[in-house]
Formats: sequence, C-alpha cells, structure tokens
Amino acid sequence: MTDAKKISYEAARAELAEVVEALEAGSATLEESLKLWERGEELAKICQEWLDGAKKKLAAAKP
Amino acid sequence: MFETSSESPASVRAVTEAIKEYVERLGPIWIEGEISELNERSGMMAFIRLRDASVDMSISVMCHKSVIAAAQPLPANTRVVVYAKPAWYSKNGSLSFSAREIRQVGVGELLARLEALKNLLAGEGLFNADRKVALPLLPQKIGLICGRNTDAEKDVVENAKRRWPAVQFEIREVAVQGAAAVSEVSAALRELEADKTVSVIIITRGGGSFEDLLPFSDEGLVRLAASCLTPIVSAIGHEKDAPLLDLVADYRASTPTDAAKRVVPDIAEELAMITALQDRTRRYLLNLIDLENTKIANLMGRPVMKDPQLLITTRAELIAALRDRANRSFANRLNLAKAELKQVKARVRALSPQATLDRGYSVVQLTNGAIVTDPKTLKPGDLLRLRLAKGETHATSSVNKESRLIP
Repeated sequence: MTDAKKISYEAARAELAEVVEALEAGSATLEESLKLWERGEELAKICQEWLDGAKKKLAAAKP
Repeated sequence: MFETSSESPASVRAVTEAIKEYVERLGPIWIEGEISELNERSGMMAFIRLRDASVDMSISVMCHKSVIAAAQPLPANTRVVVYAKPAWYSKNGSLSFSAREIRQVGVGELLARLEALKNLLAGEGLFNADRKVALPLLPQKIGLICGRNTDAEKDVVENAKRRWPAVQFEIREVAVQGAAAVSEVSAALRELEADKTVSVIIITRGGGSFEDLLPFSDEGLVRLAASCLTPIVSAIGHEKDAPLLDLVADYRASTPTDAAKRVVPDIAEELAMITALQDRTRRYLLNLIDLENTKIANLMGRPVMKDPQLLITTRAELIAALRDRANRSFANRLNLAKAELKQVKARVRALSPQATLDRGYSVVQLTNGAIVTDPKTLKPGDLLRLRLAKGETHATSSVNKESRLIP
C-alpha cells in the first residue's frame, strides 16, 4: 500500500488488467495467485479512489 | 562684418541696415503653409500669418490686396503656396515676406503629395503587416486621444464601459483639426507612449473634410505613431482617403465604437464563453470518469476477481480428485495382494507334508527333532515324538531288532 499515493491512475489500471490476465491464464502457483489477487484488490481500490476523488473535485467546483 | 566692442558698439541703424542689405540680397522662394490670420485692414496692403502645417511655427507675409484677390476664396486654415521674398523692416527690426503670388494648394495636389508620402513610407516598410503589434486581450489602461467633448470620445468611453465596466482610460483632449492638431496629438501620443500603465492607445476623431483630416497624414505624426511600442488603434471617421495614420496603426477601426469593441472584450460574452468551456470540460471529465469506472468494474467483475474462492475451490477440487484416485489405486493394489497371498497359501499347503499326514502317515522324531528313518538307530526306551495329522503325541521305543519294512 506504500505506493498507493505515488502510482498514477493509468499505471494502476494497466497493472490491474495485467493481474486479471495473469490470474485468468491460471499458470501461476496458488501462492502467486493469492498475491496477484490481493494486488488486484489493492489496485482496484487505488483506481476507485482516483475516480471518486476526481468526481468529488468536480462536484466541489460546481458553480 | 562689424568689429565691435563695448567701447565702440555698432548703432541700431548700422545693424539694421546691414541686415536689410543682407536680407534683400535673398531671392524670392516658394513657401508652403496654412493661413492662420488674414488682415486686410490698412490701405493697399494685406497682412498674413502663415504657419507651418505640422509644427507651431509661423512667419508673417504681406502683400498687395490684389494678390489676395487673385487667390480668393481663402478661408481660414487654407493651405497655400506663397511666392515671396524676404524683406526686412528697418522701422521695427522685423522680418517679413513680401508675397507676389499666392496659390491655394488644391485637393488634387495634396492628394498627389499624400500619395508620394504614402509611397515613401510604404517603401520604408512602415505599413508592413509584420510591424503590427497585437492588441492586448484586456488592456490595463486605455490611452485615448480625442477632441474636446466630442462624440468620438463619448462613443469610445461609453461602448468600452458597457462591455467592460471596470475599464480605465487615460484621456488626452486635444485639438484634432487645424493648426495645433499635429503638435497636440503628437505630444499626447508621446505622453501616453511613455506611460507604462497604458497598454493600448486609441486616436480618434469624427468624420470631417479632407483638409480637417490632413493632420492625421502628417509625416512627423505618422512616423511618431510608427515608432510607438504601445499598440495604436486609429479611429478616424473617414471611409475613403484614409489618413496615413490608419495605415501605420496596429488596428484601423471603422468608427470610435468599433475601436472600443476591438480594444475591450465584452464581459458578458467572455463570461458566457468561459462558462461554456467550463461546462464542456466538466462534461468531458464526467464522461471520462464514468468510462473508467466501467472499465474498472469490468475488470473486477471477471470471475477471478469477483469470486476469489474459485482460486481455492478449483484447486481443492483437483486435490479431492487426486486423493480419490490415490485411494482407488491403493485399494486395487491391496485386493491384488490379497489374491496373491491366497494363491501362495494354496500352493504352500499343497507342497506341505500335512496332506500325507492327513492320509494317516506320521513322522517320527527324536526329542532333538531328528527324523527317525532307521529302526536300527533306536534303543529301547528312546523317547519318540510322533507328528500326526491333527497334532503330536509321544511314544517309547520297545523293540531293539530290525523291523521288517512293510512292502
């Protein structure tokens, strides 16, 4: 979670897509899969935070 | 000419006569100027004050009234060319010009001269487009050069304020026609150019006759305007025969109102534009966020992310299946082993002496386990162990002679 503040939305989304693909390929070990899944959840949260933040800013700026 | 000192000064008369002599040696010349005063009061002579068209300088010209009559009509500020000879008046020590002929400078001639000046300035590149300075979007202060209490002034100020109420003006009310126009407009222009808070200068006057607008074609004024770093808007109300100032100005407005519009943006229009842009960016962003939200939701909706149990259950199923297979294989192996054992047992049984014993035979052994096959080896009283089909018993040897074997 340390890089949550640093990673950009685009980077987070791209990585999330990679994670999902890796999981779907099914070639990872169980341990790896669990780690991937956790990372995916984390990335999704980062993306959501970005999007929610952007929406909130827009709403706040509404004249 | 004179050797003078405080001890031996020249008399006024001597000086005057010397000047007179010098001046009267000068021949007649053609002089151009504007008639600023015409006095025909005394006798046969008329007195004229002839002033320069651009700067505040004048000379006095006198002539016979017939010369004036020949040049009539001569309204005030008429441009004329005078053929005159310098004359010295010894009586009051003044220089005057004695005119023999006065000609009005005709409009055609003025136009030709303007055209020549225009070509000269164009040749120097003063009208080139690359010299034009862009007008500021929103000027800090607007310099305005205009006539006193003119409609042009009102038009500029009112229209500008309507568009942008906070607009600030630095106004110079000057003569915009006649003798003083060139020098006053030039002075005002220099002043406004020097003022760093003035970010654009409007020079305006309403329409007028060709002669009225002549000051705005004055070479000195046009060159000054060209040299200004501050952008200049000319709004001289004249559609054709545009004064040369129009050509050198950074923007040529058709009217004072047009000048105000060009110099000041319309606040309502600007606000509306900004609001529209704001709306567009907002909508764009909202769409973008929605789109991205959908993308993330799609990714998170895939079975691997949505139901992470799958990660475990698929593997658990695999394990269960493997365990099942392992169990089954082991059970098979066990059954096989059982069957084998049974066979071996049967074979063992078939090979054992038991079957012989079952038929009634018995095995005789000594107590040390040695099998007795020869009666001669036995002594009476030897303890014997008899192995029968269903167990064993003991006996004692009693006969010590060779037994006959049953055939």
